[in-house]
Amino acid sequence: MGAEVITVSTDTQFVHLAWHRDEKMLEKVKYPMGADPTGDVSMLFGVYDENTGLDLRGTFIINPQGTILNSEVNFYNMGRNIDELMRKFKANLHLSKHENEGCPAKWKEEGDKTLKPSPDLVGRVYEALQ
Amino acid sequence: MFKEEVCCNLGVGQQVPDFELDTYDPSKGNFGKVSLKKLKKAGKWTILFFYPADFTFV
Repeated sequence: MGAEVITVSTDTQFVHLAWHRDEKMLEKVKYPMGADPTGDVSMLFGVYDENTGLDLRGTFIINPQGTILNSEVNFYNMGRNIDELMRKFKANLHLSKHENEGCPAKWKEEGDKTLKPSPDLVGRVYEALQ
Repeated sequence: MFKEEVCCNLGVGQQVPDFELDTYDPSKGNFGKVSLKKLKKAGKWTILFFYPADFTFV
């Protein structure tokens, strides 16, 4: 869909190779697996845990201009929902092409109702979403 | 890698400084590098997915 997905952990690229070769569940993974052993990039995004030397489960969506548009960080024991990630990414794509719109909470995919902020909408969001 | 002014804990709405990461690229079966500069030049969106460690669960 035009996005470059890059996974990152503090493991080296050699461990990534070994893991990809070993773990059947990774067979379909074709995206670059980033290595951040010094934690520099992880610290940039605030996901580096100094106590363990490991990264928290953080996902960041960055637009082609280099601005972070979304961030989600979970503690170690909780996985992230990929459907939600897809939903956010699709919403970002839509909004980048329709700058005068907003995606309401229930927006799931292209074609769903959006909001067009204007003086007319003030106090009338309920009607706009019907 | 980064100067004092740009490190750390970037938030939503902020600009990400150009960074580079060594990678293992399964689509090529080889090691490589990713650079935010190059991705921006190519007009691509970037999704960074951080996780604790290889060979673990969840």
